[in-house]
Amino acid sequence: MENKSYFENEYMPKMHRIGKLIGFLGVVVSFLPPLVLALVFGLYPKLSALLTAFISALTAFGILWIIEPISYFSVLGPVGTYMAFLSGNISNMRVPCASMAQIAAGEEPGTEKGSIIATIGMAVSVIINIAVLTLGIFLGISILSMVPPKVKESLIYLLPALFGALFVQFGIKSKSTTTLMLVFALMMNVAVMSGLFAWLPGASGFVVILSCVFVSIGVTMRKLKASEKKQEQ
Amino acid sequence: MNTMEIANSLPMWLACATAVGLVIVQALIFAKHAYHAGLKMGIEREQFKRAVKSASITSIGPSIVILSGMLSLLITVGGPMAWMRLSLIGSVMFESVAAGFGTSSVGVHLGVDELTPLALTMAVWTMTTGSIGWVIFATFASSRMDKIQHKLSGGDPKKLAAISGAAIVGAFSALFSQHLIKLNKNAFASVLGGVIMAILLYASEKFKLGRLKEWNVTIAIVLAMIVTACI
Repeated sequence: MENKSYFENEYMPKMHRIGKLIGFLGVVVSFLPPLVLALVFGLYPKLSALLTAFISALTAFGILWIIEPISYFSVLGPVGTYMAFLSGNISNMRVPCASMAQIAAGEEPGTEKGSIIATIGMAVSVIINIAVLTLGIFLGISILSMVPPKVKESLIYLLPALFGALFVQFGIKSKSTTTLMLVFALMMNVAVMSGLFAWLPGASGFVVILSCVFVSIGVTMRKLKASEKKQEQ
Repeated sequence: MNTMEIANSLPMWLACATAVGLVIVQALIFAKHAYHAGLKMGIEREQFKRAVKSASITSIGPSIVILSGMLSLLITVGGPMAWMRLSLIGSVMFESVAAGFGTSSVGVHLGVDELTPLALTMAVWTMTTGSIGWVIFATFASSRMDKIQHKLSGGDPKKLAAISGAAIVGAFSALFSQHLIKLNKNAFASVLGGVIMAILLYASEKFKLGRLKEWNVTIAIVLAMIVTACI
């Protein structure tokens, strides 16, 4: 029990404090490049044009600013949310790496130990991501020409293969819910493709992940309640 | 100075390096605290080692995919911005679209017209203002969402784990289905990844191969990638 109070009373408040501070700093440092353009090179944006461009970005992505953190919160946890949204590349990097770290360490997602391991996994992925990009920027285009074309082609299939494998890894524990969720997800995709959600701003693909996460939580909670009732009887 | 000289100038490198540095600092601080807390909570050093190894292996593939996205951005907005945008809040899809919104607002079409200094400025401002929403919302909502989730589960750790487990099943169903529905080679790769994974899980359970378990996902992905690329 001592461990539990350490996690909840010491570790988490500290991580929330650091997370908020760095998130705030992240917003500030984002503005360094545009400020350099203005202060060093005297290049200022045209305000009316910036408004047009910003509104385009807002309609295309604005809803994702809110929907994505909500959709991924239960997957990433609070600490993971700070890290994933500052560093970006969430579904293609942070989520798979957190999950893979948990599998390797044998800790379950959603537990306190699982959350610690996920944080480690995500931190590793952030460092490697930046290391590869930094290497790439110094070696430039030549680095990609070093990769044989067959390897390049197979890399396209990395994420689909990873999603398929992790779907099975995590889904196998609750086969009925997983089957239900896959059918539901496919139906949602068909609905999005047929334009059923075209009235939503931006690319409506986010509807699939948002609805899948919350329907899955809802179904699982109902099942839990039902099994609790059975135990009481 | 022409546009690209400005985009690739030393002041731009310094500004972008500061931002990238912050992301690295965050990862290191969080990892350090998580590691010490984990040791206190009874996580073994060996588990940490395995977690780091597995996350490293998993990171390499997607990193190279992001790298190829960065190289196309590099041509349009210069090295420092491309490097920073894909390390901070970025995603390949968002950045190039946002850059395009910025330049076209002053009548320059990305990849067609020559980039003027003004168009570069517009691209940089649009990429910046268009992406901070994610950090602002995530940063200020994280502790609130944590409280809501605790209330929903009544503080019961079993329920909390069930919620996360369910969210992961939901998320991977969505991500898997988005490839599946395309009915192309991507769909084939994702099905193959899943099928090989199921076989490996069955085999490692049946023959009690503990060591194999660690490598299951890696084997499944690599096999699925190679087979898909070869057909």
